[in-house]
Amino acid sequence: MLSVTKRSSWTDTLLSIFLFVLIIILYQYFAHQRHLLNPHDKLVPTFAQMLDAFTRSTFEPDRNGVYRLLDDTLASGQRVLISMVFVFGGVLMGAYMGLFPVMDKLFYKFFLFFDKIPALAILPILFIFFGLGEVSKVALIVIGVVPTIILDTYLRAKAFPQEQVIKAITMSASKSQIIFKIILPKIFPMALDSIRLNFKAIVLFLISGEALAATAGLGYRIFVVRRYMAMDIIISYVIWIGLLSYLIDAGICLWIKKQYRWYNK
Amino acid sequence: MTGKYILEVEGASQQYFDQSEKSFQVLNNINLQIREGEFVTIVGPTGCGKSTLLRMILGSERPSAGNVLMDQKPILKPDRNRGVVFQKYSLFDNLTVRQNVRIGLELENFSIFGNLLNTVFPGWKYEEYSTLVDEYLERVGLLQHGDKYPYQLSGGMRQRVAIAQAMIMKPKVLLMDEPFGALDAGTKDQMHAFMLEQWQQTGQTILFVTHDLEEAVYLGTRVIVLSQYYQGANGAKIVKDFNTPWPHPRDQSVKEEELFQDMIKTIRNQGLNSNYLLNQEEFDLSHADAIQLAS
Amino acid sequence: MNNFKRISQFFILLLLTGFIAACSSPSGQESNASSSTSGKSKKFKVAWSIYSGWQPWDYANQSKILEKWAKKYGIEIELIKMDYIPSVEAYVAGQVDACVMTNMEALDMPAASGVTSTALILGDYSNGNDALLTRDNLQVKDLVGKEVNLVELSVSHYILSRALEKNGLKESDVTIVNTSDSDIAPAFISNNSQKAVITWNPLIMEIKKQPDVKQVFASSSIPGEIMDLMIVKTNVLKDNPELGNALTGAWYEVMAIMKKEDKATEEALAIMAESAGCSLQEYKDQLKTTAMFYSPKSALNYTTSKAVIQSMDYVRKFCFSHGLLGENATSFDQIGIQYPNGEIQGDKNNIQLYFDSSFMEKAANAQL
Ligand SMILES: Nc1ncnc2c1ncn2[C@@H]1O[C@H](COP(=O)(O)OP(=O)(O)OP(=O)(O)O)[C@@H](O)[C@H]1O
Ligand SMILES: [Mg+2]
Repeated sequence: MLSVTKRSSWTDTLLSIFLFVLIIILYQYFAHQRHLLNPHDKLVPTFAQMLDAFTRSTFEPDRNGVYRLLDDTLASGQRVLISMVFVFGGVLMGAYMGLFPVMDKLFYKFFLFFDKIPALAILPILFIFFGLGEVSKVALIVIGVVPTIILDTYLRAKAFPQEQVIKAITMSASKSQIIFKIILPKIFPMALDSIRLNFKAIVLFLISGEALAATAGLGYRIFVVRRYMAMDIIISYVIWIGLLSYLIDAGICLWIKKQYRWYNK
Repeated sequence: MTGKYILEVEGASQQYFDQSEKSFQVLNNINLQIREGEFVTIVGPTGCGKSTLLRMILGSERPSAGNVLMDQKPILKPDRNRGVVFQKYSLFDNLTVRQNVRIGLELENFSIFGNLLNTVFPGWKYEEYSTLVDEYLERVGLLQHGDKYPYQLSGGMRQRVAIAQAMIMKPKVLLMDEPFGALDAGTKDQMHAFMLEQWQQTGQTILFVTHDLEEAVYLGTRVIVLSQYYQGANGAKIVKDFNTPWPHPRDQSVKEEELFQDMIKTIRNQGLNSNYLLNQEEFDLSHADAIQLAS
Repeated sequence: MNNFKRISQFFILLLLTGFIAACSSPSGQESNASSSTSGKSKKFKVAWSIYSGWQPWDYANQSKILEKWAKKYGIEIELIKMDYIPSVEAYVAGQVDACVMTNMEALDMPAASGVTSTALILGDYSNGNDALLTRDNLQVKDLVGKEVNLVELSVSHYILSRALEKNGLKESDVTIVNTSDSDIAPAFISNNSQKAVITWNPLIMEIKKQPDVKQVFASSSIPGEIMDLMIVKTNVLKDNPELGNALTGAWYEVMAIMKKEDKATEEALAIMAESAGCSLQEYKDQLKTTAMFYSPKSALNYTTSKAVIQSMDYVRKFCFSHGLLGENATSFDQIGIQYPNGEIQGDKNNIQLYFDSSFMEKAANAQL
């Protein structure tokens, strides 16, 4: 039935947005029905309500005079940025472990074990050790994601062609040059890729941490407004988080494609 | 002769383990002395251990028995003195052709300060390398391809980059493992000329593994045949070791000479013929430096 | 192009099917959530969560007292245990017909979402079950510029607001750190840098065991403002007064057992303590800070008093000023609350919360 004739591009676009549109229409219809039964319904807000909630949190200061969405995004963004320092530290750690047998023996089993620990389950311990401030939230992200990044980089460093390392040594490369000039430049886009794929986990840990104790943040807001069932705010925040994550993902992809043309070839 | 040996292999053997953890001997009691400036070509049946021998001299692998020396000192690790061109995986595929050729110079003259400066002003320090890099690219015929990545090159082009990459460092000893295996005849001739010219200019010592007998006889001042087929075989031994008589620079025309053709035939019919070797009591090691062990 | 047409036709068909499904589901859900008819008797779902003043519901269920009363009025009642906030959410979503909650959540969750609700039974008020605890001998006045850990927009937040108000301070004088109730106690206990916390029992008892922690304000300082209610959907109660009768009857039978102070009382309290996950002694201690209305008479008297109206006024103003009546709410009068004497607080045309004393009255007059 399906022929392989080339369709015009607008029909392709139409098809690719079809499911989105379908879901939006169905949702809007469902919300509308609920609002007919109960005009004050908060659980299934219509898109107009969500848009309104989004505009309010974005462009109007709230009771305390803060622009919520900006405030929350900055607070969460800062946490993610700080944990990124550790994530890149993890990349370095993985490379070192892959190259130096001593580091390998010392750390591999340790991180392998740590990677298996469900970070969320030890959250109370984190709060006891690091308090309720920023440290514990960053620590949660770090403990949740960094071991995975370390192990990933480690395996890639291990799989690095030995011939190239030897070749570098015959050209008078020192150990640190092998890491920084030979191995890291080559595995870096792979590390970026795995950071990109782990971003969902980063967001998950961020939100969980913020749910437990915070004064601002995207996750914080979602959990606070749940107290008065402001689903319009929650959904608009969820869409915002999704959009940001998508943009970051696409940004990293684009960066890899532009900056590392040889990668994946 | 009292000349200085740059490389010495003393009774070196190598054992490996197969899947069932049983050990098997690859090289058996290899003895070899090489003088500075020699161009040694090594041939032998596939799987006889040519690459293994090369790796032992490189230092990336230690013999299970015996010693390998360079300038009378044992070789323990690969170092700056011995460059290498592998059969494959020689190039850094995250670097362009030009960067691949330049990387050795960068590594050798590395300074954190220079590296920083280069990050801020790209090409500031690398400028001073560029004439040299271009010269080598020109020689291997890849000047126009300098900004391509290895994945954009053919197998032969990649191998030529690898040669330029190793040669630009002018190591005292250059180890090459079937570098021209993937080249067409025309390019091969060009590369031969380039190799010989380079060798004569630098006075390097070259060890060159190949399957092409014509190439082996044409390039080498000395040809070594390695084989694992002989009476009571247990790992490969040197079964032939001889001089080629033509002085360098050699002309392509020597390939037409009868002696040249005979040499190739002899290698094929004796060195590479297991039936012949199995019936042989002694090996034909006519080279002056060859070590003839009492059998 | 022809193929594409066929595909689009298929998708349009899919769309239509989806629409039909969407049309039928909300109305269908509405009817079967409120009361499903199984055989002859109607079945109702009631949600409860762990709290000293609500444990009697679990006992009523376990001791079959609830079943007995439901049978008497020819209905079935299913009691479902949930976490507190999810239980209220389930109530608002229409998954259950009735749910226990405080007057504050009754106002800012169902009433503010247009789920018209009736307070059927006023069981108790918090008389110290919610408290502000501090380290280093800090008084409320000393909290200026300090962090306070609490569950934001909960009763704890209300307690903070009232405590500050009574000491001439504003909320902006302190930093509120929203802290999950699941971790608030261990986190506070183990971090000496945390100076002030507001939470509820049994966590308060736990935190107070620390030598350097003091209680500086509690719900007992504002008695009666936080009431614990059994909330039923107004339309369900109107259509099915049997549900109100059965719940009220069962509740006061249990209350009578709790009041007797004999062996039966001990047994009942032991069951309640067990399902609360604490020891009998701990549960008894919690009851000391819970002002239970054991007799229907006392509950009736309190419900019909001015005190309730005054309390609700504080609570609705707090809710409004914290956006709990909806971010778009323009006034605390937006939602109407009707009291047993017919008095209406707020918008007459938008009454969403009723305090109904008629069932407690029936119990007081032994008419159930
Ligand atoms: N690391 C290793 N472990 C186990 N066996 C090995 C290892 N490296 C090489 N071998 C085995 O040693 C033998 C010699 O290998 P080598 O690569 O030196 O042969 P070669 O002469 O270079 O062959 P070719 O001409 O095909 O390149 C082969 O049988 C090979 O399977
Ligand atoms: Mg080989």
